[in-house]
Amino acid sequence: MSAPEIKLTGVPELETERLRMRAPIAKDWPAYRDLMTSERAKYLGGPHTPGRAYKEFSVEIAHWVIHGAGPWMLCLKGTDDAIGLVGPYHPEGWPEREIGWMIFEGGEGHGYAFEAAVASRHWAYTEGGWESAVSYIGQGNTRSIALAERLGAVLDEAATPLDPGDLVYRHPSAADLGLRGVV
Amino acid sequence: MTGTRITIPTLETKRLRLRAPEFRDFDSFAAFRASPRAVHVGGPHDRDQAFNQLCALIGHWQLRGYGRWIVADRETDEALGTTGPYYPEGWYAPEIAWSVFDRAEGRGIAYEAAQAARAYAYDVLGWTTVVSLVTPENTRSAALAQRMGCVRDGTFEHESIGPLHIWRHPSAEALA
Repeated sequence: MSAPEIKLTGVPELETERLRMRAPIAKDWPAYRDLMTSERAKYLGGPHTPGRAYKEFSVEIAHWVIHGAGPWMLCLKGTDDAIGLVGPYHPEGWPEREIGWMIFEGGEGHGYAFEAAVASRHWAYTEGGWESAVSYIGQGNTRSIALAERLGAVLDEAATPLDPGDLVYRHPSAADLGLRGVV
Repeated sequence: MTGTRITIPTLETKRLRLRAPEFRDFDSFAAFRASPRAVHVGGPHDRDQAFNQLCALIGHWQLRGYGRWIVADRETDEALGTTGPYYPEGWYAPEIAWSVFDRAEGRGIAYEAAQAARAYAYDVLGWTTVVSLVTPENTRSAALAQRMGCVRDGTFEHESIGPLHIWRHPSAEALA
């Protein structure tokens, strides 16, 4: 008897102008680990130890299984190398549904997160049936704030942050964008 | 919504079914993780942490190709605990992990389940040796390890849980 292949199935693939968005898989772990254990992870609740980062990565993957939605790995079209993780995220205890993003070392500054976030939000509002979304951003994370604003999100000071002092950027709703969930 | 799923093999023993962890197990899982007994698994944990732990069970399967099952009653499908081969980043070595939820204690559930998990590790995954890590205070798990034929093989210091006794199982060869 040989070990069966354990495979996450049913994660839709999305394509944008430059990106292919696919399910997170084991071979993406080193890129994820390198970011989450680096100083840049200070806006992602880190830096984490590799052990803690492994758990976080497990949660990102399991989010798909539990919610039928979750974050995609971004690859440049024609490649299979992960350059970031972007998409719907709402683990237990989070006040609202989020469109989250992180770009791995070397992938920054090309607008990939924007491109993927637009596609993620569109998917969440149509296939995912979401009606609204926020992005949780740490104080001082100017790059993420700029991205949220570019996405049309606005600071919502009345919304509950994940951690005290964090910022909540509210995206245009499905209705605002003329999209209706197909639940 | 999409039909996203992860296909995880199912094992059956006399009284138990070892099956994929699912969201419907969350309440049982969270209750165990919130209990004082969860001190032996790095807890107690609040509900949010328990959610991450349940997700970690599922994600481990995708990352490693094996992982921990929910130990369910074969008749009722009630979740009684977890067991399975387990080797997250930062862990000492591939192990057979087990935990039993409060109401399932004292019936040999963990023994029956862990034996099936060990057999899977040896027969299906092809492992030749395996350990189980137990907190020094967890006398019930230590007793189970001994019942499974394990012997003490030093101590491992985990970055967040602290010291863990290493119990080494009889090798695949010894059990063959």
